[in-house]
Amino acid sequence: MFVAKSIAVDHKDLIHDVSYDFHGRRMATCSSDQTVKVWEQGDDGTWHCTASWKTHSGSVWRVTWAHPEFGQVLATCSFDRTAAVWEKEAGQNHWLKRTSLVDSRTSVTDVKFAPKHMGLQLATSSADGIIRIYEAVDVMNLSNWSLQHEFNCHMGCSCLTWNTSRVHPPLIAMGSDDPNPSGGPKVKLYEYSEVQRKWNKVEALSVVSDAVHDIQFAPNVGRSYHLLAVASKELYIFSLKPYRKDPASNPQGNKFEIRQAGMFDCHDSQVWRVSWNVIGTILVSSGADGCVRMWKANYLGNWKCISELKGDGTPGEGHAAVAQNNQPPGTLAANGSMGANNNSSSSNAIRGVQMPHLHRSYSHT
Amino acid sequence: MASERESEEISVPLPSSEDASLQATWGLGNQLFVYAADRRPAKDTNGEGSDMGHTQSYDILDLRWGQDMHGPTTRKLINESHSVFVMLQGQVTSLSGSALYNQLKEASRQYRSIAKACSLELQLLMSNTVDEGEREYYGNQVELLETMQIIWSLCEILFIDIAPGEMVLVQLLNWVRWHFSAGREMAQDVINDEIPEEHPAYWEAIFRLLLQGEIERVRKLLSLHSCSQTQPFTSVEELLKKMPQWGNLRTVSLAEFDLKWRHWREECMRRYEEGHFTAFAELERVVQVLCGDMLVFSELKDYCETWYHLLISRLLYQNPTVRPTDLAFHVQACMEEFQRAGHRMGHVDNILQAALEFDLHQVIKDSSTSLGDRSWWFGAHLTDILHHCGQIDSQKLPFGSNLREYLLLEYVAGLMSHHSLWQVGVDYLDHCPVFGKEHMKLYIENLPLDSERKANKLIHICEERDLLEQVQSICKIMGVRCSQDGRLGSALSWFLRSKDVPAATRLTEKFLQDYKENGNFSHLDLLDHMGPTMLLTQQLTFLGKYREFHRMYQEKDLKGAASLLLSMLTARAAPRHFWVTLLMDALPLLETPQVILGTSQTYELMHCLEELTQDLTRNTPTSTTPSRASSTPTPQSAGTGVTAAGSSQILSQRDLEKLKLLRLALCRNLSRSIVHEGTIVPL
Repeated sequence: MFVAKSIAVDHKDLIHDVSYDFHGRRMATCSSDQTVKVWEQGDDGTWHCTASWKTHSGSVWRVTWAHPEFGQVLATCSFDRTAAVWEKEAGQNHWLKRTSLVDSRTSVTDVKFAPKHMGLQLATSSADGIIRIYEAVDVMNLSNWSLQHEFNCHMGCSCLTWNTSRVHPPLIAMGSDDPNPSGGPKVKLYEYSEVQRKWNKVEALSVVSDAVHDIQFAPNVGRSYHLLAVASKELYIFSLKPYRKDPASNPQGNKFEIRQAGMFDCHDSQVWRVSWNVIGTILVSSGADGCVRMWKANYLGNWKCISELKGDGTPGEGHAAVAQNNQPPGTLAANGSMGANNNSSSSNAIRGVQMPHLHRSYSHT
Repeated sequence: MASERESEEISVPLPSSEDASLQATWGLGNQLFVYAADRRPAKDTNGEGSDMGHTQSYDILDLRWGQDMHGPTTRKLINESHSVFVMLQGQVTSLSGSALYNQLKEASRQYRSIAKACSLELQLLMSNTVDEGEREYYGNQVELLETMQIIWSLCEILFIDIAPGEMVLVQLLNWVRWHFSAGREMAQDVINDEIPEEHPAYWEAIFRLLLQGEIERVRKLLSLHSCSQTQPFTSVEELLKKMPQWGNLRTVSLAEFDLKWRHWREECMRRYEEGHFTAFAELERVVQVLCGDMLVFSELKDYCETWYHLLISRLLYQNPTVRPTDLAFHVQACMEEFQRAGHRMGHVDNILQAALEFDLHQVIKDSSTSLGDRSWWFGAHLTDILHHCGQIDSQKLPFGSNLREYLLLEYVAGLMSHHSLWQVGVDYLDHCPVFGKEHMKLYIENLPLDSERKANKLIHICEERDLLEQVQSICKIMGVRCSQDGRLGSALSWFLRSKDVPAATRLTEKFLQDYKENGNFSHLDLLDHMGPTMLLTQQLTFLGKYREFHRMYQEKDLKGAASLLLSMLTARAAPRHFWVTLLMDALPLLETPQVILGTSQTYELMHCLEELTQDLTRNTPTSTTPSRASSTPTPQSAGTGVTAAGSSQILSQRDLEKLKLLRLALCRNLSRSIVHEGTIVPL
């Protein structure tokens, strides 16, 4: 049973990113119209825009929330070569720019906060291949960020992701959208060495030779390995198992035992985005074929597509599509390929998953 | 064999792939945000932000699923099975052997009856609504629940409540009777008819009952026939009466029963072949059933409705002592019987077939995915029982005992999206030994802290499970939120709970600042009841002590107040920027009619005053770094007691006046105390 509710976001241009806060009560959207909008969910489940403001002088690529321990804090990155940190003013629905990170000389393609246990840090990636790690000097005063580290990936960065494990050294994976397939691996992993106080390249995933558009580590739920999803020409799911210190088990000196848990050529040439659920059990991917697919591993660790979302061609202009469980008839309908028709009266309705009955009422605004 | 589940295809009210491609972001739980993006990646198409060519504004679709779990009826299902589950987990650890086995059987029955109650409630809702769509919705829900019960009861018979002596058919008959009640209802109609034998369903009722082995009821119906006293009827009546019933023969062995049954069937056959019943075609068919005639079962299969009913009916008259493990040999023939008639086999058929073939993993796998939103409820609870029954042997299978946990975690994932059922989910996680705790941590991090009450509840849950880091994090979030909203008292108490030194220090500073500006304290009850928590930071200790000083002063304990004040200064517990305030507080104590501060105390006060003024005069002319005053201290320096902002503070003219006044008062007091103490005796 799927229930869909449409939110009229009213951005004047393409939406590039939608980001949830940790508690799922707030959402931030960013767009080529250079604005960011913040949404809050009311008690009745509807979303209200509580703030909308111009953030950059170029397309805003990404927006992301800091952990709520640090208050209500957002980071954005833009084509205008900057990244910015925003904080909600106490008692107001007004967001203040706390800092502008202007070190990049090219478009800042991604910005991500580090996992909370590392304090208030964020990483940015740039189109010229440089990844920068910033840290808030004082978590109570976000106007002061210091550039802690800077390293060059030697190819244009399009995306980055932090590993969330607390028990392993900090780890960042980056992807490059360099279109040249012979330009080497497009995914590289960097690990922080406490001893050297620097980030070192520890792996390059040579399997991925085509441009990478998105990359995300799954939340670590006590697994002995990390899961990394990569959106490239194909959808990849890698499992990275850190080697134990024991050199005998690992003569090459590699950091990880890398296994390709899945590779799916499903989105018609390009996969644009990947996103994990909170516990890292379901992956959602979207791509050039216009579909959104959900992937899930069974108890044997085999990844399979469990559902596929397609647009039905309804223009998305300011209408509200309201759906409720109990109301007919459906537009969200599964194709009827599920199971058999058995005429026996006791069981004929139970063939596969019952698909939704949706009622949509259009109210033109 | 059951096939792998195909992925479902869902269309959503958004632009189709011709116009734009969809993108999606996960929300909390079973929730996705789907929105249309350009067909090509943003970075390639639209580098310049000034490219405002697109005038269309796109919507975001908030897509949720698994909401069936959230209806009031289902909530009951969840809550009631939760208590059964929790109790059972307790029994698993405390009991063993047959005592545990009995509890497991009991729990299995309880789960089934909970599902039954839920189904009945939905049926009631269905009959009360006039809305066609709602009816259909409830109808589907009821069907699903009924199917679950069919599968569950079969699994219970085959894997949980295993009949002694391998006489499985009695239970299977009960199973069929329970789930197919049309025959009994028809019989009731027939009996109520004025002339039962002319009721159109007279013979159908008889056959339906016969196929379920309801011999008593069949005899009753036959006795209502006008010819019941004729020879063919009495002959059938005799055969039916003689039919061996396992229930009445509990004391005999399976072999003895088998012998008795063979004798009886031979007699049925003999009478049939002798043509006793040719006058009554229907009666002859009854005897054919008793003889276990293959053809007649094919003819009557529609009265069985399903292949599995047919299977049980056939076995009843052909092989009543069938062993559980031999059931599978008869499945195919019965399925084909229905397939020939154009029925297609679906998920339920595959699941039941797998059960009869003792392929438990196939049963669990298929039923966990194909029974709608309650699939995981079904899979998790059934598997839990089967696991404790030892039916899922980890030795046999590579994934072993994790199957139980895997299914429980899936079930929990659904509960955690709900605004109150998450508490149920927590209890389930407690019983997932491998990943339960890690999942709990992630969930707790993402559960919305809507109110103080919910935060406290979560903290309690975390403390019970020793998740201290999560407790700290919750307190910190709440504290930050309170201080954002300007509720400083609540914020401080949250920070004290999480022992967050920098944040507490920061807030204490704010309190002191407020006092300096307004001359009174807010949040008195909090300050008065800090107890040992005030030792968390030096500032806080000072704040507590300072408040104590005020109380003593108000209670006219001037001596005590004076010595406390002095100790705050001499122990350097007070932040330097607060010294002016402290010294001024000494002023009234110096002006009292009686002498309160003795000579040595007065000297010490003078010393402090001198230290302060020297400090200030040293800083004031050379304060070339006024920016330091505005720069905010790092947490480290804030923790040392004297803030950067405090030490470079420039005194106002008014403060200087006040200090002059104080100096005068100190001198006066010194002279008074000398006289009073008589330390310098005039010559």
